[in-house]
Amino acid sequence: MLSCAEFLAEFGDYLEDAANPELRSRLEDHLHECKVCQVIVDSTRKTIRIVTDSDSFTLSADTVEPIVAQVMARIRDKKR
Amino acid sequence: MSYLRETELLADFAPFASFREHFGFVPKLFRAQTLLPRAIEAEAGIAATVLLKEQALTRIQKEYILLKVAAVQQSTYCVTSHYQMLRMLGRPENHLDQIMIDHRQADISAADAALLDFALKLAKHGPWISGKDIVNLRNHGFSDEAVLEAILATGLANFLCTLSVGLGPAPDFEPVKIPSGEMTQQRDNLSLSHGESSGPYLRVVEQSAASFPPFAFFQEQFGFIPNIFRAQTLRLDVIEAEAGVIRAVLLTEDLLSRVQKESILLVISAANLNTYCVAVHCEMLRALGVSVEDSDQIAINHHQTDLSEADKSLLDFALKLAVRPAEFRLDDVDLLERQGFSEEKILEAVVMTALTNFLNTLQMGLGTTPDFTPKRVFTTKDLYPFVEESRLTPDAPSMDPDATLVARVQNGETDAFEDLVRRHSRRIFGTLVGLVGNPEDARDAVQDVFMKAFEHINRFQGRSKFSTWLVSIAINTGTELLRQRKPLDSLDDFEDEDGFRPRQIQSWAENPEELCTAAQRSDLVREAVLRLPEKYRVAVLLRDINQLSTEEAAAALGLGVPAVKARLLRGRLMLRESLTPHFQRAESPRTENEKRSPNAQLR
Repeated sequence: MLSCAEFLAEFGDYLEDAANPELRSRLEDHLHECKVCQVIVDSTRKTIRIVTDSDSFTLSADTVEPIVAQVMARIRDKKR
Repeated sequence: MSYLRETELLADFAPFASFREHFGFVPKLFRAQTLLPRAIEAEAGIAATVLLKEQALTRIQKEYILLKVAAVQQSTYCVTSHYQMLRMLGRPENHLDQIMIDHRQADISAADAALLDFALKLAKHGPWISGKDIVNLRNHGFSDEAVLEAILATGLANFLCTLSVGLGPAPDFEPVKIPSGEMTQQRDNLSLSHGESSGPYLRVVEQSAASFPPFAFFQEQFGFIPNIFRAQTLRLDVIEAEAGVIRAVLLTEDLLSRVQKESILLVISAANLNTYCVAVHCEMLRALGVSVEDSDQIAINHHQTDLSEADKSLLDFALKLAVRPAEFRLDDVDLLERQGFSEEKILEAVVMTALTNFLNTLQMGLGTTPDFTPKRVFTTKDLYPFVEESRLTPDAPSMDPDATLVARVQNGETDAFEDLVRRHSRRIFGTLVGLVGNPEDARDAVQDVFMKAFEHINRFQGRSKFSTWLVSIAINTGTELLRQRKPLDSLDDFEDEDGFRPRQIQSWAENPEELCTAAQRSDLVREAVLRLPEKYRVAVLLRDINQLSTEEAAAALGLGVPAVKARLLRGRLMLRESLTPHFQRAESPRTENEKRSPNAQLR
């Protein structure tokens, strides 16, 4: 059976439901037996959900137009 | 029939007689060029010297190279020709099919497989070739003569593929279908680590202008003997044939002018990121009276020059044929005709484009250093416009919602760029804030990203989404900024590769989102992401914040998919570590159990 270290090195595809059937079954065998890795899988899935849903790095809509104007002014300036 | 008019040549036209003798017929690719017999003569000369003479490599090894490169360049005409040649040389069809699908699974030696790996890398990923690739071939027992022949065969293959796309002849035989898995297989198998280029890679035999007439010819015509020819002295007959092509195609002035031809060489070389060829052709243009500033501007974006509209169209035509062949159509030929170019001139433009791809391929294989101090040096660090271009992403290109706008900008319509900026600035800003950490720097950098994209837009080949390309520019811009800010930190080595193990093993709440407000979550995530070492942060930014697919992220970063997956997983696990104290289950009975359980530690 896989060790935790092996499990943690391999479970990236599993998180995205992209592991091939053979790997998936080996990972699930380990998971069945290991509560720590169960916790890590569950909390990593939640981490991804929280990070993906957060708008930590989104520019507010009202700052878009000034950027557009500045870029286009620089381009037209350069062309002249 | 092909795209251009054909005429009857005399029955004893020597190249055609030679084709009949060697192949039993005259390939339509050459019949399609009867408006320019001097080009056919020169091409036949180079093809015969490179392909037909058996010296260090066998004819079959060279035909394999031509077949594989044609498959990867998606030229049905060339695939069909070389498939047929190999059949005539006794190779069974199922063997050839296997070579095309995956040559490593075919019944060929390990050395021949390495030879094909090299040819494919050179043909499609020239800027990544380094001395290591040559050493690898030597380790497989290939002499420098053999390596030179492999480079020449690859150059010839690119030359013929460009001709076939530009001229559009029907295949000479029942068309062979190109296996669709070809590109994918290539991406997966090639190692695209950025190599150090410190050529010239091959042994040379000193020759002087006094003793070797082609060198005297170069000295007389150019005022110097270009290093690209000095690097091929293991095959003097080839240099002679190349001089013949230069004489017949580049130096003639009865159709396109020399300045027009040098400009074609310059724009394509710049798009191929070939520092050597850009330096040489800038110098040639300078000798022809074009200022260094003007030629530099032609190299970077010919639409922002004082060239005539007709000349800009000519360069658009050549650039598309050379670097975006999949998009090239009969319409492009018609467009040039409407700009007043005769069919003879268009044919010459096609041949010049093919010649440029040939010379660029040779240079990258030979690793020659520029004959002049280059005004502009392209290094693998500058590869951002090409990184994803050389790696196909699965959802490209027809599904790209930006394709129409991009094409308009590429055709000189500056205003169309405005909508692209509007569409993408929020996402690009997000990537940059995530990378550099503060919104003020990111706001300036957003402008730089769009300026770079605009300046390099002609290099965008549409093989991946425009948005992926833009993100890759943003990453390079942001990374540069970080390097300037912290020149002493080696950001890539921040984290010990094997030193990371999860420490937080408390269960999380069932609905962790309920434990704080959206604004608090946003702050927590921002802080946690910004604490990640750069290489993991970038992977998380692209995949989880920007929602790129793993393949797109790999393309934008110039990394393999497995490397991105590994960095992403590490980044996610580190974020989990940082976020656990905020989202763990309150007084979890399970945590207590785990503490007591023998399972509650990593095994």
